[in-house]
Amino acid sequence: MPPSIDEALAQLRAEYPARFARAETEQVLREENAKLLGKSGQLTALLKQLGKAAPEERRELGQKVNQLKQEVELAFDARLGVLAEQKRSAELNARPFDLTLPGRIPAQLGHKHPISLVREEVIEIFRGLGFAVHDGPDVEHEANNFTKLGFPPDHPATDMQDSFWTTSGHLLRTHTSNIQVRAMSHFKPPMAYIAPGAVFRRDDDATHSPMFHQLEAFLIDKDVSLAHLKGVLAEFAERMYGPGTPVRLRPSYFPFVSPGAEVDIGCVFCRRPDDTRAGCNLCKHTGWIEILGCGMIHPVVFEHCGIDPEQWTGFALGMGLERIAILRYGINNIKLFFENDPRFLEQF
Amino acid sequence: MKASYSWICELVPGLRATPQVLAERLTGLGLAVDGLAQYGAGADQCVIAEVQQVRPHPNSHKLRLVTVDHGAGTQEVVCGAPNVPEPGGLVVLAPLGAVLPVVGLTIAPRKVAGIESSGMLCSESELGLSEESDGIIVLPKGLAKPGTKLTAALPATQDWIYELDLTPNRADALGHIGIARDVAAAFGLDWAPPKYEAKAAADAPSVESLVRVRIDDLERCPAFGAAIAQGVKIAPSPLWLRFRLASLGVRPISNLVDITNLLMLEFGHPMHAYDLERVRGSEIVVRRANAKETLKTLDGETHELITDDLLISDGEGPVGLAGVMGGADSEVRNDTQNVLFECAYFEARSVRRSARRQGMHTEASHRFERGVDPSNAEQVLAHALQLTAELASGRVVRGQLHAGVKEHKRTALQLSAARVSQLIGEPIGLDEIKLTLTRLGCQVKAGDPLQVSVPTHRPDLLRSVDLISEIARVRGIDRVQPVVPAIVPTRDRGPREELSRRLRAAAVELGLSEALTFAFVSEADLARLNAPAASVTLKNPINDRHTVMRTNLLPGLLEAASHARRHGLPEVRLFTIGSKYLPGGQNDGLPEERLSFAAIISGARPAYLHKPEPYDVWDAKAYVEGLVARVTRRAAQVRRSEAEGRPSYLHPRGAAVISVNDQVVGTFGPLHPDIVHANDLDPNTLVIELDAALLAEIGSQRPSFRDIPRFPQSRRDLALVVSDDVPAGEVLAAIRGAAGPLAEHVELFDRFVGGAIPKDHASLAFRVVYRAEDRTLTDTEVDQRHTEVINEMQRLFSATLRSS
Repeated sequence: MPPSIDEALAQLRAEYPARFARAETEQVLREENAKLLGKSGQLTALLKQLGKAAPEERRELGQKVNQLKQEVELAFDARLGVLAEQKRSAELNARPFDLTLPGRIPAQLGHKHPISLVREEVIEIFRGLGFAVHDGPDVEHEANNFTKLGFPPDHPATDMQDSFWTTSGHLLRTHTSNIQVRAMSHFKPPMAYIAPGAVFRRDDDATHSPMFHQLEAFLIDKDVSLAHLKGVLAEFAERMYGPGTPVRLRPSYFPFVSPGAEVDIGCVFCRRPDDTRAGCNLCKHTGWIEILGCGMIHPVVFEHCGIDPEQWTGFALGMGLERIAILRYGINNIKLFFENDPRFLEQF
Repeated sequence: MKASYSWICELVPGLRATPQVLAERLTGLGLAVDGLAQYGAGADQCVIAEVQQVRPHPNSHKLRLVTVDHGAGTQEVVCGAPNVPEPGGLVVLAPLGAVLPVVGLTIAPRKVAGIESSGMLCSESELGLSEESDGIIVLPKGLAKPGTKLTAALPATQDWIYELDLTPNRADALGHIGIARDVAAAFGLDWAPPKYEAKAAADAPSVESLVRVRIDDLERCPAFGAAIAQGVKIAPSPLWLRFRLASLGVRPISNLVDITNLLMLEFGHPMHAYDLERVRGSEIVVRRANAKETLKTLDGETHELITDDLLISDGEGPVGLAGVMGGADSEVRNDTQNVLFECAYFEARSVRRSARRQGMHTEASHRFERGVDPSNAEQVLAHALQLTAELASGRVVRGQLHAGVKEHKRTALQLSAARVSQLIGEPIGLDEIKLTLTRLGCQVKAGDPLQVSVPTHRPDLLRSVDLISEIARVRGIDRVQPVVPAIVPTRDRGPREELSRRLRAAAVELGLSEALTFAFVSEADLARLNAPAASVTLKNPINDRHTVMRTNLLPGLLEAASHARRHGLPEVRLFTIGSKYLPGGQNDGLPEERLSFAAIISGARPAYLHKPEPYDVWDAKAYVEGLVARVTRRAAQVRRSEAEGRPSYLHPRGAAVISVNDQVVGTFGPLHPDIVHANDLDPNTLVIELDAALLAEIGSQRPSFRDIPRFPQSRRDLALVVSDDVPAGEVLAAIRGAAGPLAEHVELFDRFVGGAIPKDHASLAFRVVYRAEDRTLTDTEVDQRHTEVINEMQRLFSATLRSS
């Protein structure tokens, strides 16, 4: 005959602590628990048998079963807590990660070319001052590149810029100043443009590349003065090279400006914390570094473009982006810009 | 141009600036000082000594022992020079402790061939006075007492020399008088040029009686001045003149040649000295050359001329190429007795053309090309005669001969004082304006506007704005206080810069790095790629690799990839943005410069602690999709390229066409093995090309908001085994079609071949996400739809369900 309910209860009471203790994982524990208390668990089965017991015993047996059920539930909770703690502790105390393994390469960013970096940076600064970008072609009419800018034919000034000519009689622009002519010929002042782009000169040696990049900025309005030019230059120097960067103008000559000047900034390499400069090889111990050329737009350029020089004045400034990048990143060879060696590019 | 500090000081008597201060001021004037070097470094430590006794060195027949009196006593020094003078001769002694920087020597007692010597007799080169010397300096007897400092006895032994980087407009600064005028103005000193006068003897013949001058081309040679000295004695120049020339980089030759060079450096006006006896017919004619006429110049070269060249000829033939170089036949020689000085004015452009054609760039042509002062010829010739009388015992011939224009036109300009202040941006007083311009040689008549007559030594001052420029320059262009202008905002003209920036940002974000590639390539580069033939060919390319403007961006990238491979770099992921130069679209005759994008990917994809795998077309496809999505916010469609129209440099198996909105915007694929081979590239090299200009036209799609789904989704996966020649994309499209609008999303998440999958088949696992916008779908509804999908796939592709 089957064991009585009492016997069954006694057996389960004796067994369950060990069964729970044997469960080493939460899942096994829950399975054990289900075998006792689940739909078809052993204790559940006993509860169902109560109906068969004699009525006078039923009440007492019911209390006994329920008491055991509560004991099991408490024990289950306790064991669950222990297992959770064990798991947490094991996880915390497991062998540390081997941090000497190489880092996993994330989705890698590429690198902008250093010329593009300075190009975008300079454009950003001039946009902030109110200038907009004006496009223009690389293959250009002689008139836009030279004649309308006031370069006299057979003049030594054109020696400064030995040009590439095409078989159809055009040339590769030698500077971005062709944009001045194009802008002034098509639009009425006031205007404030920047013109970045590739330019071409027949020079190929240690310090020259036959293709390089310039950025020109020009402002034409009523009463534009040299003081405004200097204001823009000072602002550019502060934003590009840091607050307090001094700017110096030296008179120079370009056929399309008068007065014309070259612009130095305080040397960025030998600058001391107190803003004095010790002098270094890069500034030839002068404390100054040349960064661009500029001037007040010559009236002859206005006239060639159909703008009245009595009514309008303007300034133009132009910089070589290679030079800006060389100064910014300490690059020592202009050839590196066009070799596209990955070991060079990935530094920027 | 080299300039002498001492000479400037001589010309500007009131100047009290150190060489360094003057250097800064010169730069501030626009006469940029590129270098400042001491001439005769160490000369100030040397004294004049008199030779007392010379005896042989006991141990060397090349050396001698020279006893000299150095003022404070006598001493014996060992000397190896061949030209030690007899007793009584004056030499230069570097005493103990003297530092001679040029040769890096500090004089200390030392044994020379066994005999101690405590001093050195110096040569010119040891003091940096000339490039080379044959022996020690021997000074004229009676120059100074022994013990006198060398620099006191001969001030020309010490100077500071500026290396000026002059702009081409400043012809006047190619002579010291011009520099002095600027310096005086900058320091606010009153100044006048020196005045020279050559006195002829009462019985001297007149120049007209000895030579005739005729100008046939007054346009090219508006003026020709001549003067003559007779009975000259050709000899080396005195030391002061030799040192002055040497300090300025000109080699001293003989007194007459040295005089012409000195005057060129003084006035900036080149001149020429002829041996009058060799001027045939006693006649000078300035004329155009005959075609193929030849001239032997004094450098010994023979030149064939054309009719555009301007010649100086005598009664019989050419004696000089005007403004460039004199002829060999009539030059001054050691036996010359009568000398004819020429000081002419030649038109700048004509000289420049001749000089360029003949490949000659001379000190003379350099100056004439920039424009010499036609008005100073009389003074140049006067000083030449005066010096010839002084230094070569010449007898001055009476008068000067000036053919052509007598009075040279001065440019007349009007200058509004208000305009000066307006352009500079600061109030500038009328007095300052007048004073500055006057000091620079202008004549200024009061009034509003001021009437300004520009001196002939400043042919570059052509407009009133140039006068403003002069005022700014002299007062200090850097003195102006900066004012940030208020700029009226303007819009960009042309989309290229902004488009480039966005493409660049997208490419970099995706992991590509930017290369800058030359816009010119070779025709062979283009032919190899079967790219369109160049529409722009350079007439004067710099080398044979850069002869035409590119019609395809790949050559530069292929070169970069090949460079990386040669340097052992395993991975290349580069892009470039730039123009293709295509046949012109506009009627201005210029080519179309079409902004394009290209990328090259080669080598192996980095993997984490795993063997890297070669890049493949799916990498390229992801880059393409990423780029297009970032730039246009639209999806790129990719399809295999038909044989027709497929770029020949792409591999036929992987060549793909990219379109957006049904417009073809580019191609990508693995490089054809032939191209890989030809360029020595990694076999796994992929290229991408996008028409950036077209992407710009297509534009960026604006996002349009849709409600976030409120009802839950139901996901069902299905793995289909299909023949592996069925493109997965077709299956996916078919699933989408069969699942209908309830299928919100379908994706391929696994592809598997091998294992239990039959040969030539592939298992494709898809996930389908079902969702309705207006209700929660029931399991039954989804299962029913999904079963239909499976049935349809079995029907369409003979697909079987893969059991898991």
